[in-house]
Parts: sequence; C-alpha cells; structure tokens
Amino acid sequence: MALNPAYEEIGKGFVQQYYALFDDPAQRPNLVNMYNPETSFMTFEGIQLQGSKNIMEKLTSLAFQKINRLITEVDSQPMFDGGVLINVLGRLQCDDDPPHAYSQIFVLKPLGGSFYCAHDIFRLNIHNSA
Amino acid sequence: MGAMDYDYLIKFLALGDSGVGKTSFLYQYTDGTFNTKFISTVGIDFREKRLMYRGTGRSQWVHLQLWDTAGQERFRSLTTAFYRDAMGFLLLFDLTNEQSFLEVRNWLDQLRTHAYCDSPDVILCGNKSDMEDHRVISEAQARDVADKYGLPYLETSAATGHNVGLAINILLDKVMTRMENAIDNPMFPVRQLKLPEAPPPISSSQMSQCICNTL
Repeated sequence: MALNPAYEEIGKGFVQQYYALFDDPAQRPNLVNMYNPETSFMTFEGIQLQGSKNIMEKLTSLAFQKINRLITEVDSQPMFDGGVLINVLGRLQCDDDPPHAYSQIFVLKPLGGSFYCAHDIFRLNIHNSA
Repeated sequence: MGAMDYDYLIKFLALGDSGVGKTSFLYQYTDGTFNTKFISTVGIDFREKRLMYRGTGRSQWVHLQLWDTAGQERFRSLTTAFYRDAMGFLLLFDLTNEQSFLEVRNWLDQLRTHAYCDSPDVILCGNKSDMEDHRVISEAQARDVADKYGLPYLETSAATGHNVGLAINILLDKVMTRMENAIDNPMFPVRQLKLPEAPPPISSSQMSQCICNTL
C-alpha cells in the first residue's frame, strides 16, 4: 500500500469525530466502533489495554460528565501501510476542575474504505516537579 | 508577620475519588477563601493557612499547605512526587457513595507505595455527613475499615463545616508528634522543614578560619 496523501485531513477529521463521541457521556460507548476487538492497543495513563472490550471498559469507567476540550495542535504523518500517525496536543477541563494539558497519539490503520484505531496512547502532561 | 516567619512548613495532601468533596473540604477549612494556586506543570492546587500549634513544648507557628489533586485523580494519574512530599494525608470518601468507600483501600495502597514511608499519618473522613437521607455507608462500617487499617476516623461535612477543623487538627497533631519523636528518622521528609534561625552551612567564623588556612 502507498502513502495516503490526505493524511492531514484524515488526522484532523478523525480527531474531531473521536472527541465528539468521547466528550458526550451518552455517545461515549459508540467509541467501540473505532477499535478492533483483538488487535487494538491502548495505553491510558500507563495502563496497557488490548481489544475494544477492555478499552471501552476503561473509557466508560472514567468519572466525569462534562468535558471542555481545547485542541492546540493536531500533527499527522502518512504511514507506508496506508495508515496515519496522529499526535494531539490539547487541554481538558472536567466539570469544575482546572484545565489539565494532555497529549494523545493515535495510529489509524486502513480497513476497507475506512480506518480503525490500532494504537492509542493518552497522558496528562503533569510532571514530578513544578 | 512576614512570609517566612513560621516554625514549621507542613504539607498535607487530600486524596479520594473525584466528587467526594476534597476541594469543598479544604475551602471550608481555609475560611472560604478562593485564592488557591493552581500549578499546571504538576497539575495540583494548593491553599495555605497559618496557625498556632500547642504541643508538648512551646507554641509554634505552623504554615500549613493543603494540596488538592485538582481533578487529575479522575484519570487515576497522580504525580508520585505529591505523595513523597506530603507529611500527612486526608483520605476522604463520600458517605452517600459506596464506590468511593470501596476505593479507600486502593487509595491507601497507592499512598503507602509512594509516600515517604510505609506508614505515614493518615486520617479517614466520611464526608457529606449532612446528607443523612442519602447515606449508604454506616458509621459502624466505616469504623471497621478505619480500625482494620489503623486510621482515625471522623464523619465530616464540608457543607456545614462539621468536624472539618477537628480532622485537620488530629492529623496535624499526629504529624507534629511524629516530628518531635523522630528527629533521627531519615525517612521523614525533613527537607521540607523550615526551622527558625537555622544555622548557615558554614558559620562566618569557620569561613574565616578556612580562608586563613588557605593563605
């Protein structure tokens, strides 16, 4: 497979769609369609998860209702298997908490005419010293 | 009193599931002051209060820093440095939320793994005692758990202020007692201590001797 020249649009489009589902508690369970039941990996704050079922258990267990999200940058690269590597830099505010910076990396793999999320790594950008 | 005029700087960390009332608890304790400082690099909030502590010896001015996890606990990610630097822990759960009570054990595990020692000073608080109609955890249940882990237990209400000051005072008393008894304990995070008129590393007389010796 070849590099997908539309990697920028795919990256931005995916991020928008993914967070629209994630940030709405009613729609969050629909994220299951983004992952493969066996081969998708997620690392959430250092916790390793494999398969859409385990990933969704983690995502739906998160204790917040309202999320305000501010995306600062979305950087994408095409991959030789036709996939797209995406890095998101942003800030999250849950309910009345102060905003926390975070970064999230996705690897999209082509599947028919579409994509699925094969890798997903999430971290809050908090450090051990001020 | 100037910014540095105190005998001890004591840091407490409030822990527990999101929604148990940690921020309200600290807000209530600091007389409803909103002037918290949010440090985004470490993702925490802190409030300060100065008080006079009367222990066995002379009265001491204590500068209390109260650290709040500011929502990062929702992601189950807590900068381990907070645990390490804290001298005492306020562990809160919500009397009207069973899950928050079941999580007490996990928080204790976390805390004992990352704190400056295996058995740091902790007080367990069953918060929202004013919401008696919605209570799902009885006082006896909570006391059982507190006894099992060897923790003092109080029922508190951040809304009315019930037992909030008492909880902090009990914890402060434990920490100050430990400090007085454990001068030789290298595990205690003494680097956080600010002693009054601490001698400089090299006195001026030693310094002049050194200079003389090199001449």
